[in-house]
Amino acid sequence: MAGGGVDAGGGGSRQRKKGKRKPKKRISVRIDMTPLVDVAFLLLTFFMMTTVFRKPSTMEINLPPNDAKVDIAESNLLTIRVDEAKMIYYNFGIDVPKKMKFDDLRKFLVESSSQNPKLVVLLKIDRKGKFNYMVDIIDELNLAKLDRFSIAPMTDIDLKEMARAS
Amino acid sequence: MARIKKKRVNVAIDMTPLVDVAFLLLTFFMMTTQFKPPEEVEVSLPSSHSEIKLPETNLMSLWITKESKIFLGFDAPYMMEALFGKDFRLKAAAEIKKDDLANLLMKARITNPKLRTIIRGDVDVDYGLVADIIDILQKTQITRFAMVTNLKK
Repeated sequence: MAGGGVDAGGGGSRQRKKGKRKPKKRISVRIDMTPLVDVAFLLLTFFMMTTVFRKPSTMEINLPPNDAKVDIAESNLLTIRVDEAKMIYYNFGIDVPKKMKFDDLRKFLVESSSQNPKLVVLLKIDRKGKFNYMVDIIDELNLAKLDRFSIAPMTDIDLKEMARAS
Repeated sequence: MARIKKKRVNVAIDMTPLVDVAFLLLTFFMMTTQFKPPEEVEVSLPSSHSEIKLPETNLMSLWITKESKIFLGFDAPYMMEALFGKDFRLKAAAEIKKDDLANLLMKARITNPKLRTIIRGDVDVDYGLVADIIDILQKTQITRFAMVTNLKK
């Protein structure tokens, strides 16, 4: 701070020599950096401590063991079949399957699970479909809190059922 | 009375070098940090709303790539060595054939029974292959597994 004072004094003496010059007051340019550094380190430590690095999430699947047989009432069974174009064919029990677009699935699942909380879903996906279909549909099942589901291979009988669909 | 003049010491410390060093370190780490080692197997993961985080240890990962190749990997080097030999000790995964999968899974589970199985399948891989692999898992008594996904916003 002392330097600023000296500069201001120097300006005064110069004014005396050359009378017409306007007095130029020198302002000290020395800025106290401490608060800046404080804030910088505060932010640095804050972000260092709160950052959570993005980790991929997972979807848990529990399959029944190979030899286990579970009996469920026909009325509680919802079969969802998915063809290679991601079209959904659903039927309760042994009804005739109905067609549905994937986008309508969420609403349908939420409604069905609220109507019948004991619902069990049997998921059959065409082998020519994509892995993505499986993840998407299981995701929808999880969102609708339908956590009792099973995965079964699609057979010729299923294909015939799907052909009957309206 | 002449008072003893107390000499005041200026307590203002020049912070500039500190800031210099701090920013130097900051830029150094920013420029040298590699966030994630590049994956040896490339798959584009599907996304879901699931928020369960991936466990960190005892992982057995199955990669299914777009080209329908299967890779098996473990997070522990000793597991890699036990299954694929010394050359694979520091690798993340090794390509395997579908027919060998059942044997390898069995062997891995004997070496470490605490293994958690996770599947990293590509979005575009045929479901048929995934179904086959799930079938093999079920036959080798692995009825609990997880599929790795990205979080959908």
